[in-house]
Amino acid sequence: MFRFVVRRLLVAGVTLVVISLVTFGLFFAVPSSPAKVMCGKNCTAADIAQVEQRLGIDQPLPRQYAGFVKGIFVGRTYGSGDFRQDCPAPCLGYSFRNNQPVTEIIAQRLPVTFSIVFGGAVLWLVLGISLGMVSALRRGTVFDRTAIGITLAGASMQVYFFGLILLYLLVYATGLLPFPSYTPLTENPGRWAVGLLLPWMTLGFLNSALYARLSRAQMLETLSEDFVRTARAKGLSARQVHTRHALRAAITPIVTIAGLDIGTSLGGTFITETIFGLQGLGKATVEAVQFLNLPVVMATVLLAAVFIVVANIVVDVLYAVIDPRVRLS
Amino acid sequence: MRARTRTLTTGVLAAALVAAGCSPTTDSGGGGDEKTKTQTGSVSYEAADNQGPAKAVDGAARGGTLTVMQNSDFEHLDPARNYVNVQQVTGGLIYRALNGYKEDGTGKLLLVGDLATNPGKDVNKDCKVWEFTLREGVKYEDGSPVTSKDVAYGIARSFASNLNEGPHYIQQWLYPGGAYNAKYQGPYDGGKAVPDGVETPDDRTIRFTFPEAHCDLPYAAALPTSAPVPAAKDTRANYDLRPFSSGPYKVKSYQRDVALELERNPNWDPATDPIRNAYPDAIRVTFGLEQAQIAERLVADAAADQAALSWTDVPPAVLPRTTTAGVVERVVKGPTQYTWVLDINTQRVTDLNVRKALNYAVDKDAALKAIGGQAAGSPATTLMSPTTSGWKKYDVFNAPVTGDKTKVTELLGGKRPKLVLAHSNTELRTQQAEAIRKNLTDMGFDIVMKPIESSSYYDEVGRKDNPYDLYLSGWGSDWPTGSTIIPPVYDGREIVAEGNNNLSYLNEPSVSAEVDRIRNLPAAEQDAGWMALDEKIMREYAPVVPCYYDATYELHGSKVGNAFLSDAFGIISLNGIYVKK
Amino acid sequence: MVKLPEPRSGESPYLRVKDLRVRFDTEDGVVRAVDGVSFSVERGRTLGIVGESGSGKSVTSLAILGLHNAKRAAISGEISVGGRQLVGMPEEEVRRLRGRDMAMIFQDPLSALHPYYTVGRQIAEAYRVHHPRAGKREARGRAVDMLGRVGIPQPGKRFDQYPHEFSGGMRQRAMIAMALVNDPDLLIADEPTTALDVTVQAQILDLLEDLQGEFRSAIILITHDLGVVSQVADDVLVMYGGRAVEHGSVEQVLRRPQHPYTWGLLSSVPSLHGDADADLVPIKGNPPSLINLPSGCAFHPRCRYADRNGDRSRTEVPELRPAGEAGHLVACHLPADERTRLYQQDIAQVGVAQ
Repeated sequence: MFRFVVRRLLVAGVTLVVISLVTFGLFFAVPSSPAKVMCGKNCTAADIAQVEQRLGIDQPLPRQYAGFVKGIFVGRTYGSGDFRQDCPAPCLGYSFRNNQPVTEIIAQRLPVTFSIVFGGAVLWLVLGISLGMVSALRRGTVFDRTAIGITLAGASMQVYFFGLILLYLLVYATGLLPFPSYTPLTENPGRWAVGLLLPWMTLGFLNSALYARLSRAQMLETLSEDFVRTARAKGLSARQVHTRHALRAAITPIVTIAGLDIGTSLGGTFITETIFGLQGLGKATVEAVQFLNLPVVMATVLLAAVFIVVANIVVDVLYAVIDPRVRLS
Repeated sequence: MRARTRTLTTGVLAAALVAAGCSPTTDSGGGGDEKTKTQTGSVSYEAADNQGPAKAVDGAARGGTLTVMQNSDFEHLDPARNYVNVQQVTGGLIYRALNGYKEDGTGKLLLVGDLATNPGKDVNKDCKVWEFTLREGVKYEDGSPVTSKDVAYGIARSFASNLNEGPHYIQQWLYPGGAYNAKYQGPYDGGKAVPDGVETPDDRTIRFTFPEAHCDLPYAAALPTSAPVPAAKDTRANYDLRPFSSGPYKVKSYQRDVALELERNPNWDPATDPIRNAYPDAIRVTFGLEQAQIAERLVADAAADQAALSWTDVPPAVLPRTTTAGVVERVVKGPTQYTWVLDINTQRVTDLNVRKALNYAVDKDAALKAIGGQAAGSPATTLMSPTTSGWKKYDVFNAPVTGDKTKVTELLGGKRPKLVLAHSNTELRTQQAEAIRKNLTDMGFDIVMKPIESSSYYDEVGRKDNPYDLYLSGWGSDWPTGSTIIPPVYDGREIVAEGNNNLSYLNEPSVSAEVDRIRNLPAAEQDAGWMALDEKIMREYAPVVPCYYDATYELHGSKVGNAFLSDAFGIISLNGIYVKK
Repeated sequence: MVKLPEPRSGESPYLRVKDLRVRFDTEDGVVRAVDGVSFSVERGRTLGIVGESGSGKSVTSLAILGLHNAKRAAISGEISVGGRQLVGMPEEEVRRLRGRDMAMIFQDPLSALHPYYTVGRQIAEAYRVHHPRAGKREARGRAVDMLGRVGIPQPGKRFDQYPHEFSGGMRQRAMIAMALVNDPDLLIADEPTTALDVTVQAQILDLLEDLQGEFRSAIILITHDLGVVSQVADDVLVMYGGRAVEHGSVEQVLRRPQHPYTWGLLSSVPSLHGDADADLVPIKGNPPSLINLPSGCAFHPRCRYADRNGDRSRTEVPELRPAGEAGHLVACHLPADERTRLYQQDIAQVGVAQ
């Protein structure tokens, strides 16, 4: 397993380099100059040139990329004289827009997205899987049909639609919940949870729909497996058969999908963050793209890639842990 | 003078700044219809206007926290880099410039001394040497006194190329000809402490000496680059995060993209401040909400949002919900300094009758409806906006707001002109251009649409030899005088190969001659002169179709008192605002 | 409350199935998977149930164990195990019998064993479910013991291995160990050797025989392989289309088969002792649809002799009737002497597994 992880990490490294190069290239393929955007009102050509120099985008592309890579590993220095800024490794640069260190932006945004995703994931996994399992076990009953109906509705709904409805019903119209906001967990767990309840409910409901359908199908398939029949033939009770034998096998593909889902979401849940006014990574990424804020774009894109790569490795390792037939190599 | 910008339109920067001096007279019949306003805004040297403390607001009480909900974080709070109205209103709570605008919500707007005892002394009566005397007893947040040297240092550092985002009028006037910071780059890296032409004979006096006459200096001195920055407190690039306070509030915390929190500066003495009441104990500006979310929350007026307001316009989708009782009285609306015109490229459309026909043809109502209707603006007939000092309504064509087809047919005399209509490719501007195309086609023109990438829209139409006949543009000035509108936009001598502001490319010697004549009039007569020239241009040359005056439409919560639209900034003023108990 | 094991009935036969019918209602129609089958097995004896796939042999065995989904399968008739009537017995009570009094060995041990659990754990689980007081260690000891008994070398080590780490034969031995871990009185083996190669097959069958001698279980061996039947069974039940077509001792059914279907089966099996060059004769046609079973004798569309009785084979379902020798039953409209003649004439010389 150790060798597997090392090898996968090496591949991941190459992937990240390629992604960073592509992002870099795409960024400079855009006709607009970030300097023009950052410079503000009344910019003359001279002003723009000054901003370009300050941002370092007047340099040839390879040198800019080299600087970026150097910053990550050994740190780099921006500006000169009185405006010299030392950016220690891992340096991801400074936001073009407000000169904030990108590492600081990430540190500020990541916990928000993490909180949204993990809270939501717990909800959608628990809700989705239990609903799907119970549906499968009660196949054809009223419960099953109702659950399928609801999950079909859920799966076909969009975050921005469902989220806005919740927002309207629970916040604007009735005031049952406060407008979502982020309070660090370490600061006040109660407010953290209350502030994130709406996005959790939204993600929880919508994604649980998908997971319910998936786990129902998986469970039905597993229930028809020979080993489940064996378990029953041993005289195990229905509950033991379902939890100990069927669930464990049915859950494997769900673990894979959940892992990748969570990994992808950690890169940013832009729509959710936008609807609920939460300053997460997703919003940071989209805003950075709009403002041609290269350092933030680079960092967030790479971070999203890291999450996906890591999620893939974790899923593979988990798979091997769950299923002894899988050999990591 | 460098041109002021055309913003609000394109790109990602929705930066509307300005100082505009309009004083809507309370019209007994119309009740605030800006067409009936006449401007009485002026620079006041009256002792009563220039003395602190600011007049108390009836019913106001000290205390509470006021929340301002904003869509996105400020770009800059550093006074050298502050060029956007929301930032300037916020910055104005933290630092004081030499001059400032005194407003009380009744429509009276005066430019008075802020740090200075009056709006500046024109020493030789030739507008070349200006002297300011600082008030006694103005202190920073650490209790140390504000000196004229700090003002000079603040201006000096605004020359640095690293801090170049702010307005540069004074800077350009000190070093005319060429870029403002070609010769002097600020006090950093061994540069001179003070630029040429700035002297501080003592701690309370600062004197500017310009090579050319600049009668608008009192206005330029109201921009934040004249705010004091103590050299010892200059954190350069990081000053943006925490400007050192000379005003009623200081920065308590500033978490980028999340919130800026201001708390009282205990060393601020209201007796030294003629402009600010500073009633709330704390101001909290939050960032990251969508326009619609902000509007919905303010409409809902939940307990937590009752002491909140926003400078973000209410989006069209939420507008219908702002007309009901309980909400409508919390709407703050009015014109901004921007006028939107449909430019006619006079190099290509040389027939005056066609230009006049266009003026009869354009359905201004339709053009407005496409971008949100009444909340977005009101139909225009003049070149300058109603917020301009000395503005008076006139209407050369007297056409119905939806156009006059009979007149158009008559003027076109059987011809059907073929015209190219260029527009920015944003959703809103495309809708609007489509409305104009349909309207002009109905009126007897052949219109070809030409979309242009939004970020380069003004570059494209600003090229002298551009291949377009019609295009919409908005112009707003940094202070409310005709001198910031007519010369840059309608004087043919300003036309260059690229980057033009004169987008109709009107080049008439008689207009240029009038510009020169008005510039040499006594200051008191200039406002009327610009207004007369505005009408003359429209009557004789019709180089544009005035379309609409831009408007703002904001909301505040039920516990916000004395919320009114600042004529100087086009957004709700915070200087006299209070939180109801 | 600990329920004492119910006293095992001394009467034989241990398993008695009478007029068993299993019906599934599906969207396409009613599937009569088992349609009135009766047989019995005494302790220490082995019944081979033979038939093509779809003949109802597996459905019968699952019905005995009560493994059909009660919602989907309608079961009627009688299944008496050790004197207890299983049809209509509450699920919870049947569950207590499963794995303890009656156990099953499944066809494909790779899919029948849970891939995620060690072999040992699965055996120990089978023990502990019926010995709730047994600790982990006791269960492990018992499982290791059983693994040894079924001939798995190094059972202590093998206990902790996963099914995929076993060879096919070893897996089937483990499966058998699991079935026998509670000393069941009735053992149903469903095609226990189909997935194995011939040498291993023989070993497994030997093992079953040895274990039967040791535990004195009643065994039902389900297979389509007459060779296997001839090797281990005492009695044979031939099923076709959900019905029994021939029933008797191994000697009777394999040596003196009475039903044309049995003949067909025998002709299609290579004989180890007969003429190696003799042609194998497959039964023509396909097994019948259980939804639309042919009228009369279900075998008639494939039967060479169906026309010899006028319309009878097409219109009348033949009953299982004595075929002559004691205990030998056959469901065929052909007269007994004609069957004997036809067999001698058409089949016997072809070579039959013996």
